[in-house]
Amino acid sequence: MKSRRLRRLALLGVAALYALSIPWYRETGEAPALWWGLPDWVAVALGCYVGAAVLNALAWRHTEIEDPDAPGGDEP
Amino acid sequence: MSFGAIGVAALGVYLALLLVVADVARRARRSHAPVDHFLAGRELGVFVLFLTLYATGYSGNTLLGYPGEAYRRGFSWIMATGFMMAIPILGHILGPRLQPLAVRHHFVTPGDWVRHRFGGERFGPALRTAIAVSMTIALANFLFAQLKAMGLMAEQVTGGLVSYELGVCVLAAVILVYETLGGMRAVAWTDAAQSLLMMAGLGALLVWLLTEAGGLGPLTRGILAVRPAAAAVPDAAECANWISSIALLGLASLVYPQMIQRIYAARSGRDLSRAFAWMSFMPLTTTAVVTAIGLAAIPRFEALGHVDADRVMPLLLGAWAEAGALATLGAVLVFLGALAAIMSTADSVLLSLASITAVDLLERQRGEAATTQLGKRIAVGAMVAMAALALVARNVTLWGLIELKMELLIQCVPAFLMAIHSRRLRAGPVLAGFAVGTAFAVGVGFGLGMSRIGGVHAGVIGLVLNAALAWLGSLRRPA
Repeated sequence: MKSRRLRRLALLGVAALYALSIPWYRETGEAPALWWGLPDWVAVALGCYVGAAVLNALAWRHTEIEDPDAPGGDEP
Repeated sequence: MSFGAIGVAALGVYLALLLVVADVARRARRSHAPVDHFLAGRELGVFVLFLTLYATGYSGNTLLGYPGEAYRRGFSWIMATGFMMAIPILGHILGPRLQPLAVRHHFVTPGDWVRHRFGGERFGPALRTAIAVSMTIALANFLFAQLKAMGLMAEQVTGGLVSYELGVCVLAAVILVYETLGGMRAVAWTDAAQSLLMMAGLGALLVWLLTEAGGLGPLTRGILAVRPAAAAVPDAAECANWISSIALLGLASLVYPQMIQRIYAARSGRDLSRAFAWMSFMPLTTTAVVTAIGLAAIPRFEALGHVDADRVMPLLLGAWAEAGALATLGAVLVFLGALAAIMSTADSVLLSLASITAVDLLERQRGEAATTQLGKRIAVGAMVAMAALALVARNVTLWGLIELKMELLIQCVPAFLMAIHSRRLRAGPVLAGFAVGTAFAVGVGFGLGMSRIGGVHAGVIGLVLNAALAWLGSLRRPA
């Protein structure tokens, strides 16, 4: 149960980071400041993807895959 | 020793090693059944599974096409890191449910899932055939792109000593030999070796480029000086394209037949989870790196005027090779890494193409050794046909080919990702949605030449229509 909640929270975090990674909230054509040698909006996107990778790996660690030999599996 | 001579020697050693791996895989074979040939007997453990997923997902298009796109579009190509990461993220929708079903019901091809889920319905067989045809076209297109990239890369790595034509023929023959000898086991093991080679090559090139530029800051300032628009905040259409690319590449890559078959081939659910967890980090070590490589080309080549996107990586490597003996060896390593990436994708594509044609289209029994033999003959025929096409059609850009394949594959999403979670979906509406989505993507995207509408891919709009029709049609009670 705890594992399932952690997985869901991690995936919600991934979704939020993806929304933040795309600079839809910035002024188009704006000249960027440099952060760590990158245009600021690129540094934000890259930071978001690093965070998303960590959270997604965590979500997979907490993913329980059913045993195929278990009787009456979860079928659609 | 010249660059070309070192390249020929390295290429020879590499190809010989592939054949050794193929022989070891042949000896490890347990039976002649399709599940052993096409899925390595469902014995892929976490390490090999991860590396074969990686080698399959990151192809010649990643190494040749993406730096060119970064060069052409500028920093907004960071979106590629996002859409490649979408594959292990969206994998949560499919992998955990599909893997146990595949083991329980002995799936070999993607069509086996469609037969299991929709087989008893009136339109089930038609849906299965339609999806198999679409996947076959997408795979043939993808194989053609890999063969074209292999020929170009062989020419580059040997400094022209091996021609494009000879490269296509020899490398296609080597893939055929190791694939028919060792099947998925040989493909997965060579994929593992090819992945390590690719990572080593890319790392070396990035270090050289950043050292040359003096670090990230000077590199960005150099780009701002020659092409300020490449670093400016993207406009609304580019942001829409970013979102659309995440949907297109993330969803379509998940229904790659070779991706689905690797889910089937996992030794256990635990191995699959761990392999996907590791895959989460690969866009940062691969896609972000090739993006940086393409960006580093902007200050170098901007003064040359127009440079073809597919030529950016070879030009950079050519420049690196001239910087001394160690750099020459490094450039050969990167060329070989790129060639390895291309071959590892081509072999996976060929194996899937052969299995889908034999089992889903020709309706051969998935438990019989004769099906494996038929699959091998199909692989030979497909490889010969696509190699011949690659020899006569060199003037097609790699990125255009990736998009065509994705626009087709994404229309399979309702039959897999939606149907695995919903009992409500029925074959008739899913087939109707598939037909409408495919017609829209092909008609608007390629018939009318509008690959994007307001930055959104025609295939993604087609998928929205497709999914809506599949869902709404399934709400109606069957007569």
